[in-house]
This record gives sequence, C-alpha cells and structure tokens, in this order.
Amino acid sequence: MVILENISKIYHEGTPQAFEALRAVSMKVNPGECVVLSGVSGSGKSTLLALIAALDKPSRGKIVVNGELISKLPDLHASAYRAKTIGVIFQHFNLLESLSVEENVIVPLIHSGLHLSTIDSMAKKSMELAAISHKASQEVKALSGGEKQRCAIARALVHEPELILCDEPTANLDRENSLKFIEILHALQDLGKTIIVATHDPLFEGLPFVNRVLHMEDGQLECGKNE
Amino acid sequence: MKNSAFLHFLTLLLFKQRSKHSGAILISVIIIFLLSAVLFLSSSLQYTLLSTLQRQGDFTVTRVEAGKAANTPTAWVDDILEMNGVSHVAPRVYGRYFFTPRGKSFLVVGIDFFDEQNTQALEALVKNIDLKNFLSRESMIVGEGVKHFLEAHYFKEDFTFKTPKGTFKKVHIFQTLPPEANLLANDMIVMPIDLAREIFGLHENEVTDITFNVPNDAEWDTIITKLHLKFYDVRVVDKREVKKAYKNLYNYKGGVFLILYLVSIVTFILILYQRYAMVYSTERKEIGILRAVGWSIKDILKLKFYENLIIVLVSFTVGVILAYLYVFVWSAPMLSAIFLGSSNLENHVSFVPVVTFGTLGSIFLFYAVPFLAAVLIPAWKISVTPPKEAML
Repeated sequence: MVILENISKIYHEGTPQAFEALRAVSMKVNPGECVVLSGVSGSGKSTLLALIAALDKPSRGKIVVNGELISKLPDLHASAYRAKTIGVIFQHFNLLESLSVEENVIVPLIHSGLHLSTIDSMAKKSMELAAISHKASQEVKALSGGEKQRCAIARALVHEPELILCDEPTANLDRENSLKFIEILHALQDLGKTIIVATHDPLFEGLPFVNRVLHMEDGQLECGKNE
Repeated sequence: MKNSAFLHFLTLLLFKQRSKHSGAILISVIIIFLLSAVLFLSSSLQYTLLSTLQRQGDFTVTRVEAGKAANTPTAWVDDILEMNGVSHVAPRVYGRYFFTPRGKSFLVVGIDFFDEQNTQALEALVKNIDLKNFLSRESMIVGEGVKHFLEAHYFKEDFTFKTPKGTFKKVHIFQTLPPEANLLANDMIVMPIDLAREIFGLHENEVTDITFNVPNDAEWDTIITKLHLKFYDVRVVDKREVKKAYKNLYNYKGGVFLILYLVSIVTFILILYQRYAMVYSTERKEIGILRAVGWSIKDILKLKFYENLIIVLVSFTVGVILAYLYVFVWSAPMLSAIFLGSSNLENHVSFVPVVTFGTLGSIFLFYAVPFLAAVLIPAWKISVTPPKEAML
C-alpha cells in the first residue's frame, strides 16, 4: 500500500539555515494495517505524514502509494490523489470555522462530480461513523475540542479513502475524548482501512488493533534502522 | 451536476462569510457610485450642450474694433449671403442686461422671428408656442431662473428695462422656457430683434453678431479665409471651437474626479491585496485547508474568482443604480454645484439621462479588473505554496 524508499526532507536546503527533518527513511505499510509512528516532538513524524499525504515534497527518495509514485506528482495529480486516496486528520483539526459540521464534511467532495444528494448521503454516513451527526448543523467554532476532532474525522472519511493519516490526533483532546477517538480508529480498521498515526501519546501503546509501533528519533526510524 | 455542488458551496461561503465581504462591498459601492455619478453627470452635460450646439449656426461673425467686440453692421448679412455655400444667415442681438439693484444679469437674445431657422429652433425648444400672439405685442420668453427672479421682485406679468437713453421699456413676460433648457437658458431672455436693439441702444442697421450655416464641412476653412479677406475687422467663431470649449469645460472637472477615483481605488486595492497576502491571514489558512483536502490550484482560483466576481457584480449594480438615481432623479445635489459652478441666478438643472454601454463598460473594467487581480494574485501565490505551510 505505502512504500517509502530513502526519504529525506531538508528545509531551506542550500542555505546556512538548512535543517534535515528526515534522513533516508524507508518503510512499508501493508493494506489494512494500522501503524503508529511514535517519538518526541520534532522527531519527524508529522513531516513524514505530510510527505505521504503529498502536502509537501521530499528532498530525496521515493514514495509509492497503491503503486503510484507520489513523491514527484505535479499539483493537479497530487490534488486528485489527496481527494481520492487519502484522508488526513490534523492535530489542530484545520476546519473552516465559519461553516457548520456538515458543510465542513462535504468540502472534499465539492469537485468530485457527484450529485448534491449523493454528497449529502455520503456526508451523513461519514458523520454517523465519526459520531458527530447530532451536531451536523452546528457551526464548528461553537464545538468542543473532541467534537471538532470528530468533525475532522468525518471530513477525512467522507470520500471513503483507503489510507487514513492521523497527525497527533489526540494532542488537543482530554483522556475521555482520546479514548473515543481510539474507538473510532478501531472501527475504521475493522472496515479495512490502512491507518498511519503519528503520535507521542502513550494511550496508543499496546493497543490490540495496532499492528506495529515504529519509533522515530532525530528524523530516523528506530535508531536509524529502517525497514 | 458537478457545478451544482460548486454553486451550492459558493453560495454557502458567500452567505456564511457575509460579514467578511460586507466591508469590501460597502467600499466598492461607494467607489463605483462616485465614479458613475461623475461620468453620468459629465456625459449628460456634454450631451445637452452638444445637442444645443447642433441647433445653432455653424458660424458666428462679430465686428471688432481694435481687437474688442463692436456692433456689427446689418449690411454684412447681404455680403455674407453673396458667398457661395452659405445658408441661413441671421442677424442677432446678444448681450447681458444688468439688473443693478440686485447685482444680477440676464442674457438677452434678440432674434429675427421671421427667419425660418430661428422659429424652428424656438419651436423645438418651446412646445406649442403661439408665435402670432407672441409677436402681437412687445413680449419675451424667459428662462426659469429669470421667471423666478422677476416674480420674487414683483414683476409677475411684465418687466421694465432701462435703455441707454434713460427711457424705460415695458416688456410682457409671454412664456417660460422648459426646465430641460435650464443648463444653458436659465438666465436667458428671448425677444424679437428690434426690441433687443432698443434695449441695448443699437441703431437700426446694427446687430451684435451674425450667424450662418455652411452645410459642406469641407468648405469651412475656405469660408473663414473669405470672411477675413472681405472684412478686415472681423472675428469668426465656428462650431468646432465652441464644441471643443464645451467638451473641455466639463472634461477637466471630470478629470479631477478621475484622479480622486484612481487614488481611492489604488488605496482600496492595496488594502485588499494586503488582506489576502497577509502571511497568517484566515484566507491563507482556508486555502491551505482546501488544498489539503484535495482541491487543486485551479479549484481554489475558480472559487476565489466566482466569489469575488459576485462581490464585484453586486457592488457594480448597486453603485450604478444609486448613481443613476442621484444624478437623474435627484439632480445630483452638491456634485452639480461643483460641475456647474456658482450661477448668476438660482438654477435647478435636471439632467438628461445619458447612459451608454461604453460608460458602463469603462466603469466595470476600471473597477473589476484591479479588484479581481488584487484578490486572485495573492490567492494564487498562497495556492502554490505547500498546503502544510499555508495551514500554519
């Protein structure tokens, strides 16, 4: 499903401020797997997820998702890839504050070419899965952190992606909401989704549905030992 | 089907973010209103002046003495008539009559009512005029300003002119010129030429000037040369010069407003650009989020284009309608005073509605292009930055 080969990311490359966030990372995630990337802040977890989501481009190396080389995709294809294959759940939720939950959820489908009624039913399904249907018409800015997170989950799931990327999903949630999030994650894995979670939350340690926990440190996987 | 979801979202965004857009719409309406009002006013003034000019003679000839205007002998009428290509030669008495007690003046125009061109022009201006009745006694037709001024000074039926000989001449106020003529004829008095001659103390064989037509435009310069050869002491004014003077009269005032418009639009556009280009602005984050959930650069630009096109269209429509009402229904209070200047007599000018596609097109282009550019350029710049950076 996801193959990373010698991925490096250097910010401000060629300048005195150059910073190497990822160093020759290689890994493979199989379809239906749930992988947790753990590590302290600044270890490179979020950067790695951003590269898999094609939100940024690697400085070196190759990323292949579902047989498609995404590390060098031009904008139009990268956007299509994000719109079709992946769903991202961000630490800071990244929702459009002036819109309601349902309106936020339909955003990824606006350019899908689907009929408005189909979009509506997909949004309802996704909100049910994320347990946020009861707040569908409420404006996002009036929601609690946990509700915002569930709204972000619904938005990430609405287009039925195969790969779900979660970047520090519980960093802004209390314990109760974090546990609810983990429950949703479990349900998603049961649906056969491939999940990669970047987190330093100890709650994710020893979860039965997590297939692997990969530790990241200083831009490398497990003390430099790549898969 | 694809468009219905997009249109739904576009409407949703415009409605939900109406407070964000209302400021831009308000400033846009004010700018478009000002620009439209100025252009409508100057177009209307020019239209009125030029259509009045069309009814006037092509040439006006005056005798000069040592460079200053002097009375013109009526014998010149026959001399001019002898020239080939000349038609409708008409003597005229034209001058200001000062009403010393109030420090005001009237523009007295004495014309030959037996001349076909003069009667036609008058009939075009004053509908259903009874010329026979008018000429049966010493009468005059006055502009609205004159009428109100005289009535305020108890001259309701007649007015008594003081002639240079020290005698008094009582003239009946026959009719008032229509309000549409107020721009040029507010302080005008039209009367038979002999009566005007008596009021200004001119001899029977004298007038102030002579007007005539030369139907073939190509002959105009030849006629001017012939006039100078025939009369060594003559000043010739042709319609082209008057037209130019009329155009310049309001063009420079319009120009001042255009400069003001440019200053305000540049300031507004800079503010808009700044708003959209701000490093940590909400717009920047929104674009980043849309990109992160799968929108392409093209999709973002499409949304921003239509979103702002609607703002531009709403502002344009509201601004133009308000300007139309202000100028053509409410007669442009304040702005008309700037354009027309202080008048001799109180003047209530109503403007003839003149709105051309060219004027509307210019207003739209002068506004819409910089507005859309100020929004789309920064939006494009943000769109091309990695979404991860834009969402920060």
